[in-house]
Amino acid sequence: MTQIGEIALWVALLVGAWGATLAFVGGRTGRGDLVLSAERSVWVVFALLATTAGAIISAFLHDEFRYEYVTGHSNRELPFFYKVTGLWAGQTGSLVFWSLLLALFSSIVVFQNRRRNREFMPYVTGTLLVVLVFFLTVIVTQSNPFTTLDFTPTDGRGLNPQLQNYWMTIHPPALYLGFTCFTIPFAFCVSALLSGRLDTRWITTTRRWTLVAWFFLTIGIIFGMMWAYVELGWGGFWFWDPVENASLLPWLTGTAFVHSVMIQEKRGMLKMWNVLLMMSTFLLSIFATFLTRSGLIESVHSFAQNLPIAYTFLAFLGVMVVGTAGLVWWRRDRLAPESRLESFLSREAAFLLNNLLFVAAMFAVLWGTMFPLISEGVSGHKITVGPPFFNRVNIPIGLLLLALLGIGPVIAWRKATARNLRRNFTLPVSVALVVGTVLLATGVRHVYALLTFVLASFTMTTVVVEFWKGTRARARIEGEGAAVALIHLVQRNRRRYGGYIVHAGLVVLFCGLAGKAFGTEKEVALSPGEWVDIRSAWGHTYRLTYQDMSWYTAPNMTKLVASMDVRIDGRRAGVMASEKRSYRQREEVVSEVGIRRAWNEDLYVILAGIEDMDGVVRGTNPRPLATFHILVNPLVPWIWLGGLIMAIGTLTALWPSAEAPPRVRAPRLSAGARPARVPEPELVEA
Amino acid sequence: MKKQSRFVAGAVAVLGVIGYLMVTGMRDSMVYYFTPDELAAKVHADPTMHEVGVKVGGRVVPGTVVFDQRTLDLRFTITDIASGRTRFPVHYHGPLPDTFKEGRDVVAEGQLTAGGTFEAATVLTKCGSRYEGMQQQGGGGPS
Repeated sequence: MTQIGEIALWVALLVGAWGATLAFVGGRTGRGDLVLSAERSVWVVFALLATTAGAIISAFLHDEFRYEYVTGHSNRELPFFYKVTGLWAGQTGSLVFWSLLLALFSSIVVFQNRRRNREFMPYVTGTLLVVLVFFLTVIVTQSNPFTTLDFTPTDGRGLNPQLQNYWMTIHPPALYLGFTCFTIPFAFCVSALLSGRLDTRWITTTRRWTLVAWFFLTIGIIFGMMWAYVELGWGGFWFWDPVENASLLPWLTGTAFVHSVMIQEKRGMLKMWNVLLMMSTFLLSIFATFLTRSGLIESVHSFAQNLPIAYTFLAFLGVMVVGTAGLVWWRRDRLAPESRLESFLSREAAFLLNNLLFVAAMFAVLWGTMFPLISEGVSGHKITVGPPFFNRVNIPIGLLLLALLGIGPVIAWRKATARNLRRNFTLPVSVALVVGTVLLATGVRHVYALLTFVLASFTMTTVVVEFWKGTRARARIEGEGAAVALIHLVQRNRRRYGGYIVHAGLVVLFCGLAGKAFGTEKEVALSPGEWVDIRSAWGHTYRLTYQDMSWYTAPNMTKLVASMDVRIDGRRAGVMASEKRSYRQREEVVSEVGIRRAWNEDLYVILAGIEDMDGVVRGTNPRPLATFHILVNPLVPWIWLGGLIMAIGTLTALWPSAEAPPRVRAPRLSAGARPARVPEPELVEA
Repeated sequence: MKKQSRFVAGAVAVLGVIGYLMVTGMRDSMVYYFTPDELAAKVHADPTMHEVGVKVGGRVVPGTVVFDQRTLDLRFTITDIASGRTRFPVHYHGPLPDTFKEGRDVVAEGQLTAGGTFEAATVLTKCGSRYEGMQQQGGGGPS
């Protein structure tokens, strides 16, 4: 049965290549029948890839260990859930998964645009299929999930224990959804360049795709941080690891793009810039997939050298960079701005600075990530740069962005007058100054943290004032109650107020990051009955008493659990468990941290070591000495809260409007008609 | 036109500041990455290298790992993955990294002291390589 999956893979490759050719030929010659055929091949590729993915999952569920991929990422005892998610547990499977998602989105795009955007569709279809064909080629030639072993092992080697975590099952799909979704606006961008229709249409028609991509990329990155926080067990959530950085790169350019398109829509500026941003975002998404998968740069988590794949990806990236750059150069005359910047004190300038900072941050992160390779190429020595580099560059950039977050949305277009500035900024600046004074008075001396809270209060005030003004105006004009007016306000301007909610979420997230500055930690060895005190930045003291060590077997593993009694300033506050898990199949021991979450801080306990672990399991040593690493992480919950608010904001901006614009029916494209002549229903948006 | 050049100057100033931060940041956090063979050769040629913090990637020699659960002192011997020639003892203080095992490939960051012991501030384990060899192990893209 599983064999069907491999056949489907090959057929998908052939159909994809055929469809891509038809799409471009159809686009050049204006033959609608070829284009229609190409579009149908997108659906076929999707159906075939779904078959492949189904076959892989079925192989996992049926414990078909003669497949190398299944053996490497599963074993009989592995819970059902992790067998299903085995599809994206390793390199080969996740490449299939990537292609499947792209094929799914491509099919949706083809369906959505069966009557509109006809002049774009030939090249959109072609571009999407080219990307798909590239991935399929890599899969069948270098990373085939259906590679069999010479013999059939009785059991698999199991899944890497650090991946046996719920965040890990949703984090890669979220990131992949983000990466693949960015391919859609990219395809429209390429198509706009090829067809020469370079107004804002390619941007507006893919706005929703861009936001969906941004949404998934954002939550994907945050899920990754959550995973690192609970699973890697060192108390942090961001390591400036190459793989983490890789997912941040397209996020930075994508975020810049989401903002700079507003300038093009309002003022006709930055056309070339937007094209370049979209192309970089797509290329960086591919780069991120490649970096995660190839192990070209050393990373704490996924690690392996798979050089042939690295070269294939590099070659594809190279061709894409040259090709897209050539396209932009060819069309440079049509990308000239319609108006110019007039003042530093204008919304355009704020947006430009925002873009400059995002792109600068992207280059800094890219530089730091690639530096080991660059230095090896230039000097022959591998030189790595650590977190201090990334922090030094990105914290100031982040703080400036935090300030812009407050300035950008309320400063006037073109040129702000003194009156505009006074009216909009008097209150926020006052609030920020009060917050700063209060924090200084309470003894906060950490410069970056102080700046973060001051700027956060400034930005948060501008956001609140915007909501307040809008609600008040609406309540007065429409005669509605405050709550109803607020809901209607957001409903009528989803994009704007959704954006504000995202900003508010980011402010909360920034405060959470700044909380790290006030963390405390301790490392102690305790015998049962002994206790340790640790102070929190909020002023209270935790007393943790190590009670006992218990052990039991669970599916797939043996758990050793240390329980600790927690008291806050003498008050009982429950029991915490931190574990060591010994995975049978992999003979690996993994720490499972205990976290006591409150609204303002986490108490984080790592069971660092157990004296005589074997003795505990055999029962000869029921009261072992244990070493604990204990951290108090102030404001960490705010990071997740901020992420949640950002997600809600993005969904608000994304949600289909209640009053749909009147639908304009376009005549169906008949075979043989020239796509460019089909009248354009301007009102319908994706 | 004069106005436009003012904006360009503004952008250049911003980029200049970021560039300055990058350059100084590089100076503070650049760390050489060596294999044990390379590090031994370096230190032999230039004894001042003892003072310089480096990263060294090598393999944990089986049978040499000693971990004191009470003091959290970890001692093991590291060897060159490719040649297996150079060996030196490593000392690290802190919780045992989760996937740390004999025979594993690790990256230690610290200094090779004049006494010949590598004093590591951090030890990172490269996971998965034991099973998949040089072949693969994407590891689900923990990122």
